[in-house]
Amino acid sequence: MININNVNFHYKGSKEAGLHDFSLDIKPGEAVLLCGASGCGKTTILRLINGLIPHYYKGELEGSINVNGKDVPNSELYDLASVVGTVFQNPRSQFFSVDTDGEITFGNENLGIEPKEIIRRKDEVVNELELGPLLGKSLFELSGGEKQKIACAGVSALMPEIMLLDEPSSNLDWKAIDELKEVIKYWKSKGKTIVISEHRLWYVKDIVDRVIFMKEGRIEHEWNSEEFDSLTTQDLSELGLRPTSVEEKYIKEFGQGIFSEDEDSDNSIKRYENGVTLKDMYFTYDMPKYFFRKKKLNAADSAQYTLAIPELELPRGKVIGLIGKNGAGKTTFLRCICGLEKDCTLKITSDGETVTGKKIVKKCYMVMQDVNHQLFTDSVRAEVMLSMDEEDKAKADKIISDLGLYGYEDTHPMALSGGQKQRVAIASALAANSEILLFDEPTSGLDRAHMMAVAEMLTGLAKDNRVIIVSTHDPELISLCCDYTLCIEKGRLKYLRECQ
Amino acid sequence: MRKLELDPRTKLFMIFAMSMIVMVPAFSTLQMAIRIIVTVIPILLMMLEGKYAAAIRFAVLYAAALILQHYYLSVESRGVFSALITGYCSIVVQFMPAMITAWYAIRTTKIGDFMSAMQKMHIPDGVSISLAVVMRFFPTIKEEYENINDAMRMRGIAMGGGKVTKMIEYRLIPVMFSCVNIGDELSAAAVTRGLGAPIKRTSARELKLRAVDYATMAVFAVSTVLFMAAKNIG
Amino acid sequence: MNENKLKAKDFITIGIFTALVFIVEYACGMLGFIHPYFIASYVILIPIVGSIPMMLFYTKVEKFGMITIMSVLIAIIMFVTGMGWLGAPLIIISGLIADLIAKKGGYKSFKMTALSHGVFCLWICANYFPVIVTADNYRKNLIDGGFSADYCDALFSVINAKTIAILLILCIVFGVVGAFVGKAVVRKHFEKAGIV
Repeated sequence: MININNVNFHYKGSKEAGLHDFSLDIKPGEAVLLCGASGCGKTTILRLINGLIPHYYKGELEGSINVNGKDVPNSELYDLASVVGTVFQNPRSQFFSVDTDGEITFGNENLGIEPKEIIRRKDEVVNELELGPLLGKSLFELSGGEKQKIACAGVSALMPEIMLLDEPSSNLDWKAIDELKEVIKYWKSKGKTIVISEHRLWYVKDIVDRVIFMKEGRIEHEWNSEEFDSLTTQDLSELGLRPTSVEEKYIKEFGQGIFSEDEDSDNSIKRYENGVTLKDMYFTYDMPKYFFRKKKLNAADSAQYTLAIPELELPRGKVIGLIGKNGAGKTTFLRCICGLEKDCTLKITSDGETVTGKKIVKKCYMVMQDVNHQLFTDSVRAEVMLSMDEEDKAKADKIISDLGLYGYEDTHPMALSGGQKQRVAIASALAANSEILLFDEPTSGLDRAHMMAVAEMLTGLAKDNRVIIVSTHDPELISLCCDYTLCIEKGRLKYLRECQ
Repeated sequence: MRKLELDPRTKLFMIFAMSMIVMVPAFSTLQMAIRIIVTVIPILLMMLEGKYAAAIRFAVLYAAALILQHYYLSVESRGVFSALITGYCSIVVQFMPAMITAWYAIRTTKIGDFMSAMQKMHIPDGVSISLAVVMRFFPTIKEEYENINDAMRMRGIAMGGGKVTKMIEYRLIPVMFSCVNIGDELSAAAVTRGLGAPIKRTSARELKLRAVDYATMAVFAVSTVLFMAAKNIG
Repeated sequence: MNENKLKAKDFITIGIFTALVFIVEYACGMLGFIHPYFIASYVILIPIVGSIPMMLFYTKVEKFGMITIMSVLIAIIMFVTGMGWLGAPLIIISGLIADLIAKKGGYKSFKMTALSHGVFCLWICANYFPVIVTADNYRKNLIDGGFSADYCDALFSVINAKTIAILLILCIVFGVVGAFVGKAVVRKHFEKAGIV
């Protein structure tokens, strides 16, 4: 089905990883997993198969690529569209239309298929992937998981024999990953050839027939599914891979409080030495409105609020993992702590001093999931100094080198890698003397090595007596660095307890 | 009751006729009457599509401006305040009909239908693809902007430290970076799904002009002609 | 395959930048709601702020048709949002000429790009068309309504047909000035970040 023969490839004008004398044969109906550290060439292989290389990404290409009888370098992309379908990493950027219906039919319309046939295919896909409830909606209202499902449908509607998935779970939570797994399983049952590139191995390991481990543009190991199953966590971590079984175990363990309704919640307030107290954390998205002024939120009405936590004490110097179901109010919780929701009545007390309202913003800082949104200036140093009340170049440079960004002071933040950008955002929080640091999904889409680096950094940041809260869907991160887990359900505190 | 959905081409024709009518000053009673009638039609259509709140809001605003202009201001009002009010009222009376029609057309048309209408009108694929991207990016820019605004508030730079240039720079530059990145990924995803094939694109939605479309177009065409003719007569 | 022909990716880029330019226009247009006087400032604000996305746009496509299509899109959006179709010929012609000028410089020469941006900015004048066409009518209404002719002249001094020439010239001048501003910003951010 797919033959890649002695391919050498280098991207033009880019440091992105190329391939060295790479060969791979994939049989019809086979499901193959590509794994390895970021930059090992997984994505490059997918691009060879779907023709983005050499037609969209330019570079020097040698060797031959044959997909379902088509010679890829000499076929046009639109000829490949009905042979190979690709689901990309970022659900936000891969859809073209505004509404779900248009997105599913988009590919067929491009190829000039008859309207009747387009409708027939659409109905078939909607049936198969159970998308009925999502039809007729704006894509901008959907969650990441729902968008990813529509992306799968849009690809499926072209009826290709080969399905490629490029780190499709990066931005998804556990429930969405489970649904994605069902879609892939369905494709497999239909006899499609599937190639997945992924860091999260636990959800694909039962689906794939073959696992290929890559390093620096070459195949380093190859296992069939039994062999891969027999690898221990130790073996995997030596290869820099994320564990296959541990994650599942952790999801069961940490997810317990999330997935079973009946588990006792424990919202008694524990006291910590020198802890930071949050009080009167009430917030709702539908504010009761009077003519000219809004009604102040209060404990008495809190039953209907989106978020209601009367009191909570957070320990300092520890990393707290924030968990909860999708829509449980984790994001709202984080937004309230850093003062982004003006109507929230939160009071924060630390070192005997209580702050409310606008002053909260000064105490807290959140590193957002898409860190690109919080970088404003044209150099790392300027970025750090922007957060200072009085510009202090020496202090800025110290913070920068403490975070391992020495030598990048004058670089434009947007020219840095994802991990480095994260560090720049942290540096500006440190420059502003924020006591409470919040992280929203800092490890989405990272490989094991990068995740360990983040874990180490979080532990280091906590040491300076800060409060660190990290919201995550990576149980492995919790096991690597969290001292406490904080669980939120339906906008209420479920528990805050020490990790075993 | 079934919703009355007009063909996008009918809506475009309505906008076209309406923008002619609002360009020419109305002197005679007949002209005023025509203008009010063609304004009432899109308001009624909005109601038929279930957009009651907007329809009522537009109707009240338009009526208020009309009444103010005719029964209060033109008699013997003087002074800066009435001048301002007169200015606003005449703008509302003059251009509101076009705004109402445009609002109706935009809010009740799916982008897919609009694209399909453009195909029917033989507009080149390049233009309609670009236009679809524009429509997709308006909400994207809004989303990105909201996130960036949050980030600015967290850092206390929402006002750009009091400098207007910084206020613009800190907002515009990150939005542009995001849009360029999203655009690159979007292009890659779109070409793997056949965008750019040298084939005439088709559309899943097959549009057909129905009797009600022809009737609406006829009403607007006749109104426009009458309106123009009335000017020459009166 | 002809490298100078617009491809799918280019159409997407054109769409994105048209959206950005239109957002700038919309943000500036908000000022017009505060008071109609602000409408006169469009000729300064839009060329200068809009130049930032425009100068990046010039480096992104570099093929003939990029600005023409953008101007057609602007004309369509303005028509659909109820701003009339009288401005459409002005928008499309200035887009086409701007495209030709930029093409003459191979989309690389900054001189040509600056001039091209100046000409392209003429489209902004289309915003004034509805007001200009109907201004005399307002004035007449107001005088009939008992206002002094002096007062009405003051009110409409910024929006009468005679000032259109000045507005057109201002658009070109600030379009060229904007090109320098935009170029500086592109160099400061986008070139430094390595995405141009």
